[in-house]
Amino acid sequence: MNPADKIKLSVHQVGKSFRLRDGSMIDAVSDTSFSVLENEFCVLLGPSGCGKSTVLRMIAGLEEPDSGILSLDGHEIFAADRERGMVFQNYTSFDWLTVKQNVEYGMKLNGVPGRERSERADEFIDLVKLSKFKDAYPKQLSGGMKQRVAIARTLANEPALLLMDEPFGALDAETRWNMQELMISIVETTQTTVVMVTHDIEEALYLGDHIVFFSSHPGTVFEDSRPAFKAGKRFLLKEDAVSLDGYADAERHIMRLMREQGADYLTKDDN
Amino acid sequence: MSEAESKMKRRTRHKRWFEFKKPISTPAVFTLGISVWVIFFGLWELSVPMGWVTELLVPGPSKVASALYELFTEKAFLNDVGISVYRIIVSFIGAALVAVPMGILMGSFRTVEAFLNPFVSAWRYLPAPSFIPILLMWFGTGDAPKLALLFIGVVWFMATIIMDHTKNVRTELIETAQTLGANRWQILKSIVIPAVLPDVMIALRQMLAVSWTYLVIAEIVASTNGIGAMMMRAKRFIHTDEIIAGIIVIGVLGLLFDYLFRVIHRLMFPYLEDHGR
Repeated sequence: MNPADKIKLSVHQVGKSFRLRDGSMIDAVSDTSFSVLENEFCVLLGPSGCGKSTVLRMIAGLEEPDSGILSLDGHEIFAADRERGMVFQNYTSFDWLTVKQNVEYGMKLNGVPGRERSERADEFIDLVKLSKFKDAYPKQLSGGMKQRVAIARTLANEPALLLMDEPFGALDAETRWNMQELMISIVETTQTTVVMVTHDIEEALYLGDHIVFFSSHPGTVFEDSRPAFKAGKRFLLKEDAVSLDGYADAERHIMRLMREQGADYLTKDDN
Repeated sequence: MSEAESKMKRRTRHKRWFEFKKPISTPAVFTLGISVWVIFFGLWELSVPMGWVTELLVPGPSKVASALYELFTEKAFLNDVGISVYRIIVSFIGAALVAVPMGILMGSFRTVEAFLNPFVSAWRYLPAPSFIPILLMWFGTGDAPKLALLFIGVVWFMATIIMDHTKNVRTELIETAQTLGANRWQILKSIVIPAVLPDVMIALRQMLAVSWTYLVIAEIVASTNGIGAMMMRAKRFIHTDEIIAGIIVIGVLGLLFDYLFRVIHRLMFPYLEDHGR
C-alpha cells in the first residue's frame, strides 16, 4: 500500500453473533478488521462458515454489527443504501420488468430523469454485452445473463462500492470464467471499488487486487494480502494471470490455508 | 416368416394405447376428451328407456335440454342467472378489496401478521353457513344476507393464502432493492406487489369456486330469486329436469369465470410462461 492510496472502506474490530435455534449464541464474526482502497478489487475468501458473507452483509447494511465500526469514505455505515449496491448469488432479476427496465430500476428510485436514465441503462447493458436482449424478460435469459443484468443494474445506479456475494457460484464453469473476465473489463472501464465474497481460490487469485482470508469459528481475518505475483496489474485474459510466475505458489499457499482452516472447522463442528 | 422379416417386425415399434407418460397427438386429446362426454350423455339418455332409472327422478339429457330452453325462453331464468352472477361479482370484489391488501400487509410485516392473524385464523375455522340464521335476522331476505355470507365465506381464506404467497417473495429481491436505495414504500409498491400479483390472481381464481358453493347454499336456504332458488322451486313441483338444468348452468358459469381469470392472467403477466391450470 502506498501512502497516496485512499482508504475507501474500513472495517474496524467488527463482531457479530447469532442466536441458534436451541437458544445458544454463536460468534459468526469476531474482531474483524481490514480496509479496502479506492478502485481496489477486494476478495473475501475463506472456508464455509467463516463469516465472510456476514461481513459483506454488514458492509451492505443488511446486518448490524454487535460491535465495531464499518465506514465508507469516513462515514459510518448504518443501513442499506444505494451507495453500496449488492449482487447476490441467487438470481435477483425482477421478472416483471424487461432487461432494460431492470437496469433502470435503481435510477428510477433515485429520481434520475427519463432521458438520462435510458441512456445510462443502454450504456451499462452494452457494458455487460446484453444489448440484443434489452427488451427480453429475465425468464428468457440464462443464469449468466441474469447475473449480468444484476451487475448492470447495480453499476448503473453508481454506487460508491459494488458488493458481490458469490455472484458466479451458481454458474457453470465456462460461464463463470467468462464472467470473471467480464468483471475485469468492467472494473477497468468504470473504476469501481469492489468487495466480493468467494470460496473459489482461482477466482480470488484472478480477480483480487487484495485478498482477505478468513478463518472460521469464530470468523476473523487470518491473512490480509495483496498478491505480489500480479505486481498490482489486472489481466483481461485469465490465462495471462494463471501463467505468471508465482501464481502456483500463491495458489498452493491459499489451498493449504483453506485446508487447515476448513479442517479446523470440521473437527470443531463434529465434537 | 423369414428371419429377416421377423427382425424387421421386432424393430418397428407398433403403437400402443397405453404408454407411461408418453405424449399423445392433439387430435387424440380432443377425440378422447369429447368421447367421455358422448359416453356419459349416451348412457344417461339410454338409462330411461332401458328402465335403469325412473324418469321422474332422472330425466334424460334431451329432456333437460328442453327444460333449459324453456327456462330461458318462458320462465325468465336469465333474471335468476343475472342475480346470481351479480351476487358473486359484488361479494367477490368486496372480499378481494379487503383480503388482498390485508394478506399482502400480513405477509410483508410481522407486526401486522401478529396483530391480524389470530383474528383471521379464528374466523376461518367458523363455517360460513352457520351464520345464515343470524344474517337473516340482521339483514332480512334481500340481497344483503347473501352478499354477507359470500363475503365471510371467502375473505378469511383469501387473506391467509395471499399472506402465505407474500411471505414467499424472496428476501433477496427485497434486499437488492434496499441496496439500490429503495425505501419501504417503494419496496412494497415496486417489488412485493408485482412479485406476488400472479399468485394473488391464481388465489382469487381458486377462491371464486368456493364463492359459487356458498352462493348456491345461500340461494337454496333462503332466497326467492337466483339459480339456487329456481332449483328449490322446481323441487316443489318435482321438476327434476329443471333442477339438473340449474346444476348445468352453474357448472358452465363456473368454467366461464375460470376461463376469464385465465385470460386476465395471460394479459396481465405476459412475462410468465406458466399461467396456472
